[in-house]
Amino acid sequence: MKEQKNFVNHIRPGVVPSRALSVLYTFCLGGLSFLAFVVLGVTGLLLMFHYQPGESNGYDSILTIASVIPYGGVIRNLHYWAGQLMVITVNLHMLRVVWTRSYKPPKQLNWLVGVALLILILFLDFTGYLLIGSQESGAAATVAVNILGLIPGMGTGLAQILFGEPSALSGSTLVVYVWHCVALPMVALLLQLYHFWRIRRDGGVRPL
Amino acid sequence: MPKQQDWTRRGVLRLAWVGVVAASALTIEPLVQYLTSKEDRLQSPLVAYNKPIDINSDWQNTANARVWVKRDSFGVMALVATCTHLGCEVHYHPEKKQWLCPCHGSIYDIEGRPVSGPAPKAMPRVAVERKPDSSLMINTAKQVGMGTRV
Repeated sequence: MKEQKNFVNHIRPGVVPSRALSVLYTFCLGGLSFLAFVVLGVTGLLLMFHYQPGESNGYDSILTIASVIPYGGVIRNLHYWAGQLMVITVNLHMLRVVWTRSYKPPKQLNWLVGVALLILILFLDFTGYLLIGSQESGAAATVAVNILGLIPGMGTGLAQILFGEPSALSGSTLVVYVWHCVALPMVALLLQLYHFWRIRRDGGVRPL
Repeated sequence: MPKQQDWTRRGVLRLAWVGVVAASALTIEPLVQYLTSKEDRLQSPLVAYNKPIDINSDWQNTANARVWVKRDSFGVMALVATCTHLGCEVHYHPEKKQWLCPCHGSIYDIEGRPVSGPAPKAMPRVAVERKPDSSLMINTAKQVGMGTRV
């Protein structure tokens, strides 16, 4: 069979070495992370139809979504638990890569891309926590702003860019909302696609 | 579709696609309900009431489920049936002349004063305005005292 260089062949190659079919090598942890990311994208988009960021609106709209809007509770919980799952699987994925020495050449660049993705996912998780707008999120935002403020010179400005001006009682601000819903997911998605493409480029056959 | 005896793994997986499509179809109705829900839209604080109320009538519900009106010998009053404990909608029981909160069992007397349960204070009375055509306009954003009548 003639191997064509197209996307379908990339996703479903004509020949797969039998050793690549072993689930126990990767435990599908990268694939599970991507699945969680897709679920987060879909449910997150749906949440945006009813969520309103802001110190006074954030927590109220979360309560409304969770208890008044039809099926809002399901969508919010899917988003919440997929987020928790993704943080777990992403960390386990990294441990697996260390365990199988998969960070070594020729895959050292993909390891660095993965580390960048880990940081992005943790920041997405944190901004999502802030958007709940509860008192805990206000405390978390205050701690984050104070820590950033310790960086000499640029700390205060950086905190302003990343978090806006969250109050001590609610971490939900328009700035956090934009990072969480648009900027960070876009960068994370593009990096992930590059991450997957690099697997093949570095000689791997496993799509996950 | 293959016959029963020659079902292959591939045949079963193909059939699974039917399940995937069916499961997706089942999400359409919930999605439409979720996306078209207007529960969180901004509501005007004004509620109109244009039916006649007899003197010393019982509480009458308005177009807004939580807004009730009543008329005694001094005039018309309006009450917002939101529990002062945690904000649940309080139900009026005309046979008991009491307001009962379904969430934590607070009981209010007919005037909306707390009788028992966790409710800390009386349910809010709000301003009523009589329009020229003698219909009522209730402004739920404006609280008034228990004794206020129009």
